[in-house]
Amino acid sequence: MSPERGTVAGQPAAGRHEVARLLACVVARELRDAEVVAFGLNAELLLAAALLAQRLHAPNLVMRHGLRIERGHELSPSAWTAEPASRSHELVEYLEAHDAILDVANRSSPMRFCDVFFVGGLQIDREGSANLIGIRGGDGRMKTRGPGSIGTVSIGSLARHVILFSNEHTTRRFVERVDYVSVPGWRRRAAAGLDGGPSLCVTPLAVLEFADGLMRLRSIHAHATEEEVRRRTGFPLPPGPVPVTPSPSSAEIEALSVVDPTGRLDAVDLRADGGPQ
Amino acid sequence: MTARAERVANLPETAALVRDGMVVGLSGFSYQNPPMAIVREIIRRGVKDLTLVSGPTSGLETDLLIGAGCVRRVVTAGVAFERVAGIAPAFRRSAERGDLDVWECDECIWHLALKAAAWGMPHILWRGGIGTSLPELNTGLKEIMEGGRRYLRVPPVQPDIVFLHAAEADPFGNVRVAREAYLGRTFSERALALACRGPVVATVERIVPNAEVAASPERTIVRGALVVEAQWGAHPGGVSGRYVPDLEQYRRYTADGEAWLRDDPGPYRRYLERHVYGAKGHGDYVKMIGAQNLERLGAARA
Repeated sequence: MSPERGTVAGQPAAGRHEVARLLACVVARELRDAEVVAFGLNAELLLAAALLAQRLHAPNLVMRHGLRIERGHELSPSAWTAEPASRSHELVEYLEAHDAILDVANRSSPMRFCDVFFVGGLQIDREGSANLIGIRGGDGRMKTRGPGSIGTVSIGSLARHVILFSNEHTTRRFVERVDYVSVPGWRRRAAAGLDGGPSLCVTPLAVLEFADGLMRLRSIHAHATEEEVRRRTGFPLPPGPVPVTPSPSSAEIEALSVVDPTGRLDAVDLRADGGPQ
Repeated sequence: MTARAERVANLPETAALVRDGMVVGLSGFSYQNPPMAIVREIIRRGVKDLTLVSGPTSGLETDLLIGAGCVRRVVTAGVAFERVAGIAPAFRRSAERGDLDVWECDECIWHLALKAAAWGMPHILWRGGIGTSLPELNTGLKEIMEGGRRYLRVPPVQPDIVFLHAAEADPFGNVRVAREAYLGRTFSERALALACRGPVVATVERIVPNAEVAASPERTIVRGALVVEAQWGAHPGGVSGRYVPDLEQYRRYTADGEAWLRDDPGPYRRYLERHVYGAKGHGDYVKMIGAQNLERLGAARA
């Protein structure tokens, strides 16, 4: 076993599927009834979280998946599915054109684009800014081209709640200062006259929150250690006792077995051990 | 009484409308509905220096044109193949080498630029994108103050010509979606068509009689298009409600493109030889992929 990998009381580190289930529960606990939550097309874990929340405490949560507003009780193939026999389209109650994303600018309409939005990035920094654009080289020019801003820039600054989600926890991902900003964090938002900032950052090792516009630890997952999380974060996190992330409850475990009966969560792209540094 | 004019055309004559340096709109969303048959035809003609307005999050139609050397500039919020490639290889290579000018935007700003063109506005002010790196990377976008608040000023983007792929159209240019459409009823077809200063060309799986279109007008998404029948015209992409994307083909393309990223241009060149230049036209391409392989992608009807 790699020394990088966290262990608790001599137990083996958690596997990817266990961590995926834990993260689905962590995210589900953040979703409130009657909110509108939006996902891109390739977001099984977050969809599972929304289905879980619908089942447990948020029956009126609205799920926007790609260009569909859908309900479901079970994690089905992604909306553009490559599975010819999929019946996932039968869960769809509303279809829209792509420019409905502009409706994010009016937070009050019952047809608003979303309340909760998930943002990832090649880099995430201390104040919660995210970068999907690229990485600078020594000469200051873009050396590595990222996927681009996709839908994140505007929705990430206009949605009521932004949750950062990272499938790895490394110093490459968690940096002092992002090279480019696709979604502004707390201080950049304040400077631009936007209120608030991301509320949370969920990683395979920990849950982080913000105090005075800077990231701090809220909890560490049972399979990781505090030393490891600090070592894998490219900026200092304030000291203090950090609780363990609550494990899935029996109600959550039962709901997960309904939400994901075929183990789709086992296949999500996630570095359970944080990923190679 | 004189007869109503049909607007039916073919792939070579519509591809010939594209000239060097034009601004070309391409509809589609991720794997869905990319106008691939016309893209391959445009590449065969060897046009250069195109500006592509595609997406807003675009895919193979954009990457293939970049890889074939036809593109100078892209207006898109991203080029990727979902789970197969988080970033498309030819786009990545050209952008990192500085061969490609990227009009950096997100999906909202892409739509606003087209709306500004469609509505004849000099710009649209938008609260999204302030406090980000977009104005640094895209000189067309500027942060300005208005009424004490900061906004991003988004200029119009106007395609010279637009290509889209859809399930059906009638001979008079009414383009419509499949009844079974599930990912979305429409993608960016309307946004691009309404912003376009020139022709809108729709390749479709099947041309249907006008009476069928008139029987369900709610399915018609674009009117006034030039219509080209090209069955399997989105392949290897899918067509919402008709067939699913051919992910095996996407994986092969990605592997060939990633070899090029490692400075081995051979596999990508061979991909272009086989899938684009080796086929005289779309009919040849369909034969090369094989009817059986294509039929297997057909969406099961619920």
